[in-house]
Amino acid sequence: MQGTLQLRDVSISAGTQPVLNAINLEVGEGELHLLLGPNGSGKSSLLAGIMGLPPFRVTCGEILFRGERIDGLPTDARARLGIGMAFQRPPSLEGVTVRRFREVLGASSSHMAEAEALDLNSFDDREVNVGFSGGEIKRWEVFKLFLQTPRFLLFDEPESGVDLEHIAGIGGAINRMAHSLDSEGARRSALIITHTGLILDYVDADAGHMMIDGRVVHSGKAGELFAHVQRRGYKLPVG
Amino acid sequence: MLKQLKNTAELSEEEKSLLARVGYQGEESRAGTCVLVDQSVRCASVGDPGVEIMPLREALIQYDWVQDLMFGLVDPGESDHIKQAAEDVHDPVGHFVRVKAGAKVRLPVQTFSLIETPQGRQFLHNITVIEEDAEVDLISGAAVPSGVHSGHHISIEECYLREGAVCRSVSIEEWGADMQVHSYARTDLARGAHSISNQILMTPLKHHFSQSRATLAEDAVCNDRTVIFAPAGSNRTMESETLLKGKGARSESLTRMVTAGGNVVNRALIVGEAPGTKGYLGCDGLKLTDEGEILSMPGVLAKTADAQLSHEASVGMISEEKMAYLMSTGMDEDAARDLIVQGFLNLKEQELPPTVRMALEKMIAAARSGSM
Ligand SMILES: Nc1ncnc2c1ncn2[C@@H]1O[C@H](COP(=O)(O)OP(=O)(O)OP(=O)(O)O)[C@@H](O)[C@H]1O
Ligand SMILES: [Mg+2]
Repeated sequence: MQGTLQLRDVSISAGTQPVLNAINLEVGEGELHLLLGPNGSGKSSLLAGIMGLPPFRVTCGEILFRGERIDGLPTDARARLGIGMAFQRPPSLEGVTVRRFREVLGASSSHMAEAEALDLNSFDDREVNVGFSGGEIKRWEVFKLFLQTPRFLLFDEPESGVDLEHIAGIGGAINRMAHSLDSEGARRSALIITHTGLILDYVDADAGHMMIDGRVVHSGKAGELFAHVQRRGYKLPVG
Repeated sequence: MLKQLKNTAELSEEEKSLLARVGYQGEESRAGTCVLVDQSVRCASVGDPGVEIMPLREALIQYDWVQDLMFGLVDPGESDHIKQAAEDVHDPVGHFVRVKAGAKVRLPVQTFSLIETPQGRQFLHNITVIEEDAEVDLISGAAVPSGVHSGHHISIEECYLREGAVCRSVSIEEWGADMQVHSYARTDLARGAHSISNQILMTPLKHHFSQSRATLAEDAVCNDRTVIFAPAGSNRTMESETLLKGKGARSESLTRMVTAGGNVVNRALIVGEAPGTKGYLGCDGLKLTDEGEILSMPGVLAKTADAQLSHEASVGMISEEKMAYLMSTGMDEDAARDLIVQGFLNLKEQELPPTVRMALEKMIAAARSGSM
C-alpha cells in the first residue's frame, strides 16, 4: 500500500545552510511514527520541511502526500491538502484572540469538549500564545489541530514541559484525534517528535526513526527503539 | 421620550446608512444625537434628561457661561486656522453637548459631521462639557458620501471634564481620498476626571493634520488609544501633548500605525509637571509594503523629580514566522495578513459598534488588495 506521506532522498536547507541529508521515510494511512534524536539533530527541521515553513526548503529529492508531490507547494496549500502541525515554539499573535482565530478557521464549536479535556475552555478571549505558559502553549497547539482536523498530524514535542496531569490530557487528545476518521472516512496518520516518550503511555506508535546529525540512521518498531534509547542513548542499535 | 430640537430635520436613509459606518444608530437607542451637514446643524435630539445638545450658536445665547468656554482651551495665536475661526464674522457652527452634574447617562451620546458638497469647506467649533461626577459614553464620527472626493474639514474641539467626570469616547472618521483635514482638539480634565478614548483613523485621505492637547489636574486619568491606517496616497501627521499638571495625574496612550503605502508622522509628548504623576506612551508601527513611511517620535519631559514617564516605539514589517504559522493552519496569505493586521490594530470587539468593526475589516482587506 502506498504511504500517506513519502520522503524520497530528501535534503533540506535552512536558508542556505544544509540541515538534513538524504532522508527516506514513509508513513502509511492510520500509522503513528515516532521521531527520536538528540538536540540539534534536525527533527524540527524535518517537520518544517514537510510543512513548508520558511526558511526551510527541499533542495533535493521529493515529498509526496497521498501520491501528490508537495515539496514545491506553499504552506497553506499543504495545510489544505490535510497536513497540520503542533509547533515546538509557536510565535505569539498579539491582538488575535483564540475566538477570532477559530472564527477565521471556520471551526465549528463542536470541539468544546476537547477544549475542556485540554483545560483550555476559558481561553476564548486570550490572545493566541501571548503570555501562555509552556504547558499552555503545548495544549493549545494540540487543540489547534482539532480546529483544523488534518489527515496527517505533525507533533513537535507535544509533551515537553507539561505537568503529569496535563500530559494525560494531551496524550488522550492525541489518541482520540489519531483514532478518529477524517471527513473522507480515512484514518489519520501522525509523526511525533518526543524526547521523554511519556506520550507512549497514551498512544500506540507503530514505527520509530532515529535521527542523528541530519540523517535518519535507523528505523524500527517504536516501542523497541524508544526502550533502546532509554538504555543506551542515541547510539545505533546493533544487529 | 425623544425631544427633537426646533429648526432641525430628519436624516435621509442614505445619510443614516453612511453614518452607520462610523457608529450612528437610530436616535431611540441613543441618549442624544447631533448631526452637522456641511455648514449647518441638520438634526439634534435628546432622549435623556441628563443631556443637553444644541447648536453652539444657541448655547451662546442661552447660557452666558458658554462664551467663556469658547477659546478657553485654545489660543487663536496657535495656528492660522484657529485664528481664522476666532476672527470669523459669521456665527460659529458646531455643537454644544452638556452632560449635567451627577448624571449617569445610560445610552451613548452620538455626534457626527458630514460633508455632502463636493469641494465643500467645513469649519466646525464644538464644545463639550461633562459636569461634576457625570458619566457618559460618546460616539463621534465624520463621513462623506462616496461621490465626494475633495473638500476641506477644519475642526476645533474643546472638551471640559469637570471634577470626577467620566467620559468614554469612540471616534471614527471616513473621508474622501482627496480630502484635507485639520483638527485641533483640546481636553481639560479637572481633579479626578477620567477620560478613556478610542480614535480610529483608517480611510484614505490626502492630508490629515491632527493636533491635540490634554491637561490633567490632580488625580485625573487619561487613557487613549489611536489606530491609524495609511493606504497609498494618504498622509497623516499627528501631534499630541499630555500635560500632567496635578499631583498624581496619570496617562497612558497607545498608538498603532499601519502603512500600506501612505505616510504617518506621530509626535507625542507627555509632560510630568507635578509630583507622583505617571505617563506612558506606546507607539508601534507596521509596514505592509516597501512604500510609505512611519515616523514615530514619542517624547517624555519630567519637570519634577518623581514623575514616572516612559515610552516605547517600534516600526517593523509583518513577521514571516507569524504568517507561516497561520498559513500552516490552511489560511491563505491574505487571510493571514488581515488577521495579523487586525490583531496589531487591536480592534477589540467589545469597544466598537459591530457595524464599525465590519467596515474596518473591509477597509483592511481592501487596502491590502490595492482597491482603495
Ligand atoms: N533558521 C536556521 N538557520 C540556520 N540553522 C538552523 C536554522 N534552524 C535550525 N538550524 C540548525 O539546524 C539544526 C537542526 O535543528 P532542529 O531545530 O531541527 O533540531 P531538533 O532536532 O529539533 O533539536 P531539539 O531537540 O533541540 O528541538 C541545528 O543545528 C540548528 O541550529
Ligand atoms: Mg526541535
